[in-house]
Amino acid sequence: MNEFRTYHPIVNFAYFALVIGFSMFYMHPICLAISFAGGFVYSVMLKGRKAIQTNLRYMLPMMLVTALINPAFNHEGVTILTYLPSGNPLTLESIWYGFAAALMIVSVMCHFSCYNAVMTSDKFIYLFGRVIPSLSLILSMTLRFVPKFTAQLKVVTNAQKCIGRDASGGSLVHRAKNGISILSVMITWSLENAIETADSMKSRGYGMRGRTAFSVFTFDKRDATALLGILFLGLYVFVGGVTGGIDFRYFPSVRSSEPTIYTCSILAAYFALCIVPIAIELWEVRKWKILRSKI
Amino acid sequence: MKKYSNKIIAGVLILAVLALVFWWGGNAPSLHGFLPSEETTADTAVTDKFKTDSIPDGRPLPVEPQDVVISDKELTCTLSVRCDTILDNMDWLAPEKVALVPKDGVLYAEKTVTFYEGESVFNVLVREMKQSKIHMEFVNTPIYNSAYIEGIGNLYEFDCGELSGWMYKVNDWFPNYGCSRYQLGDGDKVEWVYTCDLGEDVGGGYSSGEQKDE
Repeated sequence: MNEFRTYHPIVNFAYFALVIGFSMFYMHPICLAISFAGGFVYSVMLKGRKAIQTNLRYMLPMMLVTALINPAFNHEGVTILTYLPSGNPLTLESIWYGFAAALMIVSVMCHFSCYNAVMTSDKFIYLFGRVIPSLSLILSMTLRFVPKFTAQLKVVTNAQKCIGRDASGGSLVHRAKNGISILSVMITWSLENAIETADSMKSRGYGMRGRTAFSVFTFDKRDATALLGILFLGLYVFVGGVTGGIDFRYFPSVRSSEPTIYTCSILAAYFALCIVPIAIELWEVRKWKILRSKI
Repeated sequence: MKKYSNKIIAGVLILAVLALVFWWGGNAPSLHGFLPSEETTADTAVTDKFKTDSIPDGRPLPVEPQDVVISDKELTCTLSVRCDTILDNMDWLAPEKVALVPKDGVLYAEKTVTFYEGESVFNVLVREMKQSKIHMEFVNTPIYNSAYIEGIGNLYEFDCGELSGWMYKVNDWFPNYGCSRYQLGDGDKVEWVYTCDLGEDVGGGYSSGEQKDE
């Protein structure tokens, strides 16, 4: 399941920029559902079954909290269900909006986890290293930070375990003490690591005029087709959003725009856009199977 | 010079965007661009710790809701909730709210309601809105020691231009303190009115030397 990753970085980036952008701005419930389904399925395809567990463990509570917090602060809406102890009404609309916002957050998180797996930092630097050298270095270092930090945390924890200073056993004070020393090691390491990276990049002449960088990315016909497809679908959905084809209103009463053929076509285009990488992976699997049976 | 041209272009672009936002931002048609300030000399003498301005003679002083003991004695007052100023400013109103405005602009027709001695305008509004199933949202503002009415019947502040919101008057006076601090007397006439122009259009606010405050 690595086919979409082998595409040119601009294709990867265009896909993620469009899908994450649309996920953040289109509150139509069908759009949210499409975006969530696409992000969830693709993250499972990229990371295997383990991703289902992680997704559910972090995202379900997050979703519940977001959905519950909204009606506590937002009391707009025509359908009053009951009154909160404070005296403000609890409305059906605010609950719906809470769920929609929760779904939006979760689907953006899914897409970002896919982004991290697909857009490696060399791709990002390849795309933006010339235009915005320092910002792209900072961005790629930041995006790399969490996975790198967890990996190093494992190393440090294991090393500390070897000398009997792990945070998994012993009394609470003992564990806290060891945990804090591990944290201190990690912070020192991450600061040092950031400086080291910056120095290393500087000594290689990163961002200097006239410096060239080697890259293995080629833009071939396959990339052109994919990029054109993604851009076309993205443009269609964007125009559809601007012209109000997929407007959806949560306040003061929940109402969608009239379900016309135009709306359906925008939703279909959005669906097609969201499943581009999934379709590419499945297509590749199919091709592989056909080729193998011929031999 | 070429070295800096990028920065200059970026600066000019940012300026252009800011200018555009300044002239075209906001939702009230009359607010595009500069507005000559007509009068900015409001009396800002602070007379207590809740930033209350001086109160005209013959009008009741604010009563802090936490100090009040509400008795069992039943008294009556009249209450009405109107938003007829919106009818004159329909083009300012947020499009999704149009259907919420009643034809005559009366959300709650004038009615005699019962309250208990010691209760404030806010207590009466909460109870009556709940009883007649009209939506109402408020938020407590500790700095003024009062509730602030954000919206009644889903018509919120700022829904009809940037100067819109709910105001209240008691016996035809717009109190310059919050509605939780106005202790009602027997036979008082309480009116909640929606303004689209900081109270100018309902006869209150800065024009009559009184603060917009709910």
